[in-house]
Amino acid sequence: MRIFKVFTTLLITLSLSSFALAGDWSKIRVGTEGAYEPWNYTNAAGELVGAELDLARDLCARMKAECEFVQQDWDGIIPALVQGKYDVIMAGMSVTEERKKTISFSSAYMTEPAKMSTLKGSPLATLSTAKNLNLDDDSAASKGTIGTLNAALKGLRLGVTAATIHEDFANAYLDVDLKIYPTQDEMNLDLSAGRIDAALSDSGTIEAYMGTPSGANVTFFGPNIFGGLLGEGVGAGIRQGDADLKAMFDKAIAEAAADGTIGRISTQYFGKDLAP
Amino acid sequence: MMELITFGDTGWGDELLLSMVMTILVSTSSLAFGLLIGTIFASFKLSNSYVLKTIAEFYTTIVRGVPELLVIYLLFFGGSGAVMYVAKIFGHMGYIELSPFTIGTIAVGAISGAYSTEVIRGAILAVPKGQFEAARTLGMKKYAMSFNVIFPQVARLALPGIGNVWQVTLKDTALISVTGLVEIMRQSKIAAGSTHEPFLFYSIAIILYLFITSISYQFFNRAENKFSKGFVREEN
Repeated sequence: MRIFKVFTTLLITLSLSSFALAGDWSKIRVGTEGAYEPWNYTNAAGELVGAELDLARDLCARMKAECEFVQQDWDGIIPALVQGKYDVIMAGMSVTEERKKTISFSSAYMTEPAKMSTLKGSPLATLSTAKNLNLDDDSAASKGTIGTLNAALKGLRLGVTAATIHEDFANAYLDVDLKIYPTQDEMNLDLSAGRIDAALSDSGTIEAYMGTPSGANVTFFGPNIFGGLLGEGVGAGIRQGDADLKAMFDKAIAEAAADGTIGRISTQYFGKDLAP
Repeated sequence: MMELITFGDTGWGDELLLSMVMTILVSTSSLAFGLLIGTIFASFKLSNSYVLKTIAEFYTTIVRGVPELLVIYLLFFGGSGAVMYVAKIFGHMGYIELSPFTIGTIAVGAISGAYSTEVIRGAILAVPKGQFEAARTLGMKKYAMSFNVIFPQVARLALPGIGNVWQVTLKDTALISVTGLVEIMRQSKIAAGSTHEPFLFYSIAIILYLFITSISYQFFNRAENKFSKGFVREEN
């Protein structure tokens, strides 16, 4: 009955609850997804790596805190923060008004425009638009860019991932056949398979896909889209009650942006400077 | 691409294998927990007490009528909240988390228990009345009657249905991935998101699930044969 003993021991160990105390910030638990390359992902050795992991370690050193990383599925990443499973979310999460209703955010630590992508042979690939589309800018030029996009995408299928700023943008500004995906990877596959005509996402994540064999045929089109409901960028999610922790993060992020740390980390992972 | 599934620090083979062990652990303990509450609620349903009957009816109706994912969310986020609330009354501040393994086992066990209840109830009803009467005539006490006469027959009749519940339970464990427990589904999601090779890793997940189901199919076949010893299907 040795196998039985091993089995019961395993079960007992697994059932033990984990305890943690909140209050002083000498120890900060950082929640992340671990499946969003290159922001935060897991290497084959099972270790959490990525731009946000490096940044979190740097920020924690600045705050003289010990950081512990907690992995959490994207679904439920905000409820788990609210409940106290960890103290901060650093998971490529854009700061949005919608999310601010539930949690608060540090100032953005990286910003990245949204961009549309399509297959190289598509007529969309050669669409000419303005280089940038700032949603805070209400000018006729901005409206014209949105008009051009809508005209080009008329009747076409555009993919976005669910519960993202990109979905919000598409709903608010575009008149297309919207396809909503649970994850970026599923959307990437459908884009390559021709099941959608275009995809809208962070430019960095789709760039990472373009680097793989199955994504080699994907290309960008249209303007860099930012501002407005696309938010200020990616920030650390913090419980609304923890104003002191938010202040600590804001200060550390400002320092890391000023001394070039964020620029260095983002260049290493994204090939460009995403410092705010 | 094959180097992605090697073992060791450069491949995902060891992580995937571990996640399969986790899936087996969580699904077997869920099934065991489900069988335990299934037996209890089946006896409630067959008892003469109106209260017990109503409780059991309430449980099977609710749990079978609500999406599995909802039960898991409710127990995972609601469960920790409830524990923390009680702890607060006793002066313990801070965060207490019930481990995802425990919550997952309770949630999936509660779901599989609702289905097991009906399977076991059906099996008990299928044991001929004469068996109970004969055992009583022999002067057997309730305990001896249940374990020596009724249980072996219930087991034989329930096994095909339990085999069915097992397969459903095994697949329900994929839903626990939302709590962060690293079982097959969560591990393949992590690997797919980290390498941008979703097709490869979800295909492996399929193979791992099929591997478990085919092994357990053999196991249930043997168990059915064992409990069917001495029974010959009557030809008419």
